[in-house]
Order: sequence, then structure tokens, then C-alpha cells
Amino acid sequence: MKTEIVRNGEQLIAKFAGRLDTPAAVQTAEDVKPLLEAEKKELILDCTDLEYISSSGLRIFLSVRKEASAHGSKVVVKNINDDIRQVFMMTGFISLFEIQ
Amino acid sequence: MDLHTEMLLEEYRDAIPVFEKMEAEVVGTLREALQRNGLIVMAIESRIKTEESLAGKLALKGAKYATLSDITDVLGARIVTFYTDDVDRIAAMVEQLFEIDWKNSVDKRMLHQLDSFGYNSLHYICKMPGYEYRFELQLRTTLQHAWASINHDIGYKTGVEIPREYLRRINRLAGILEMADDEFSRIRTEITDYRRRVQQLVQNGKLDDVQLDGDTFNSYLQVRPFDALNKRIAAINQAEIEEVPLMRYLRVFVAFGCKTLGDVQRLVKQYSEDAYRLARHQLGNTDLDIISSGVGVQNICIVCILAMGGGKLGLVRFFDAINGHNTQNEAIAELTYEQAKNIQLL
Repeated sequence: MKTEIVRNGEQLIAKFAGRLDTPAAVQTAEDVKPLLEAEKKELILDCTDLEYISSSGLRIFLSVRKEASAHGSKVVVKNINDDIRQVFMMTGFISLFEIQ
Repeated sequence: MDLHTEMLLEEYRDAIPVFEKMEAEVVGTLREALQRNGLIVMAIESRIKTEESLAGKLALKGAKYATLSDITDVLGARIVTFYTDDVDRIAAMVEQLFEIDWKNSVDKRMLHQLDSFGYNSLHYICKMPGYEYRFELQLRTTLQHAWASINHDIGYKTGVEIPREYLRRINRLAGILEMADDEFSRIRTEITDYRRRVQQLVQNGKLDDVQLDGDTFNSYLQVRPFDALNKRIAAINQAEIEEVPLMRYLRVFVAFGCKTLGDVQRLVKQYSEDAYRLARHQLGNTDLDIISSGVGVQNICIVCILAMGGGKLGLVRFFDAINGHNTQNEAIAELTYEQAKNIQLL
């Protein structure tokens, strides 16, 4: 599992690649810290190369959203595959995120 | 400029850092107390009189002041409220926070004769513990503030005396704004009473008597109507439930034709079992141990749409309503439709 943080003007993009499962979540939580501290930015969670997300991964997405809301930032989840879309839907979190 | 004025100005220049410190403390104390008392105001303003303004005041009535401590408005603060009732509530709060110089404080609201209208504001001369100087605190409503600001602009900008006819027209407006202030306060009180009555009806379970709207749906959510279903769903994987806002489902229930909270409650009762079956089918083969508090109502809406014959298109519209219009919603609707078909919900 790899997480790359890219700055693009007012956007902060986290590019996830691989399987965001429980073992990978500890490092990923560390990797997304710049997003948690960002003030008034558009935070993109780019899931183009994300194959799988577990509950631990969902918790990371939720913490990004919570902090973004506290810091006046906005979160957009991009390019999720069918499996991840299903995870968001069946846990009821699909309406919580802007998914593009 | 006479020697006495010169001395007072000298004292003023030396005291500026003290006034700056006092200004920060006064504003901080007010902000903190307003927040503690749950009072939301339009603005808190403050200013330290400029040397030019003080010199002008002293030129007119300098002999009245022996020392700078006698001048009570070098530091001025103002709280602008939304409602006229709040002026009295904040006045009571201010009386607890500062020592009030009652002799020099003025409630201009009480000064008007029965047949006169004009400047309405409460002026307190206050003393902050630990400071030698007093400060002036004005309390007024937003409408009083607007009137006073415009009146000041018209009256003082040109320095030309305003003919009586115009002054009369300005004061007539003060009367209208006083009526508007009272009406805003009355409306707020009536809305609060209405909300209380609705909450009472919701708590007593008399849901058929409560019309469905934003306020009432919010009260309904406070009795947590989806908790039982969410807990059953959470038990599938011993999941934790993350709270999410549910107000967006109001428009879905309205689209279902619900007119009262009783109508909503009937749908919840009718479709909870199928909503649970759908969740069990979706989550049963996963190890997902976190769900949102929206999952129950989401599934109720899904099975309701399918039961009403809404089909895939109905699901797309539903996801558009709760997620915002998005091309992804078609894929989500397709997926949900197939899952519902698997457990013969269609």
C-alpha cells in the first residue's frame, strides 16, 4: 500500500495505491497527516489505484473528513472502483462524502 | 488649546497601552460570557477614542473633567443584538461582569415620552476590576444600530443643521423600526413555543398531529427513530456506529408523499424488517465493523422505493437526493437493485 501526497494550488491530493487493509492502515494514517492539518483546502482522496478498503481504511477517510470540516476544507473522493463503492454504500457512508 | 486640555491629552497618550490592554480584556470577557450564556449577537465592536476626537470633546467641555479618569468613553464597546429581548438579557449579564457606574449609565429607551421616537440604546458606564479607567458599553439591536448609524451619517456628515421636517421623518422611521424590533422578538418567541409543542407531541408519540417539515423532522430525529434498526444492523458484524447528519432524508420522505411524522413512522415500521434483510445480505459476508447512523434510514428508503415500484430509476433519484446529482449514482443504484433482487425484495 502506497500513499503519495501531491500539492496542486489550493488542492491537496492523496493518491492511494494498493489495498488499504488493517495492517496498511497504521502507515496510511501517518501518511495522510498533512491533510488533517490543511486549512481551507480542497482535499482530494484519489482512489484510482486503490483496490480495496477495510473498516480501518474507512476510519482514516472519516478522520480526514472530520478534520477537514473543522479546518474549513472540503473532501472529494475520486475514482473509486465498484468494490469500494459498495463498501461506502452498504455502510451508509456514501451520502457523507462527495464522490466523483 | 489651554494648558488643562494639553495635560489631559498628555495623560491620554501615556495611558493608551493601558486602554489597549483593557479593550482586549473587556472584549474577551464579553465574548466568553455571551458564549457561556448561549447568546448569539450580531457584533461586538470596540474602539479607543482617537486623540483628535478626544481633543474635540475637550474643546467643548474640557473644564468638566479634572483628570482622564473622569472621561468615561475613552474606551467604548458595543454589543449589537439581533433581538430586543436580548438587550435586557445581556444587560443582566454585564451587571454581573463589571462594576456599573449607575449614576452615569443611561437607558435611552426609558427617556422617550409617549409621543416621541428616536435613539434607543442602553449605555452602561463600567469598570473592569484592576483598572483605574472606566469604559462605556452600548447595547442596542441591529435595527437600532442601523437607525443610529444612518442618523449619525445624515446629521453629522455635513455639519449643517438639519431642518425640522427631515428630523421628524428620521424619527418616524425610529418608530417603525421599534415596531419591527418588537415583531421580530414576538416571532422568535412564537417559533420557540411552536418547537416546544412539536417536541412534546413527538415525545408523547402523537406523530399524526405533527406536520412534516424541517423543524418537526429535526425533532423527530432527536427521539432517534432509526436507532433500533441501526443497532440490529451493527450487530451483524459487531460494528460501531458513527453518527452522521440525517436531515437530508427529509426530502426523500416528502417525495414519498409523507405529510405528517405519523406517515414517516408508518414507513419506518413497515419497511424496517426488509431494510435489515438488505443490510444483512450486504454486510454479512464482510468484516466491516463500522457503519454510519444513516444506514438504517438509507435502507428503509431503498426498500420503500422498490416496494412502490420505483425500480432502478427511483433508486438513482434517491441517491441523487441524498448524495447530490452524480454520475456515480447510477452505478450505485444498479448495484443496490441487483442486491435487492438477490433477496427477492422486488
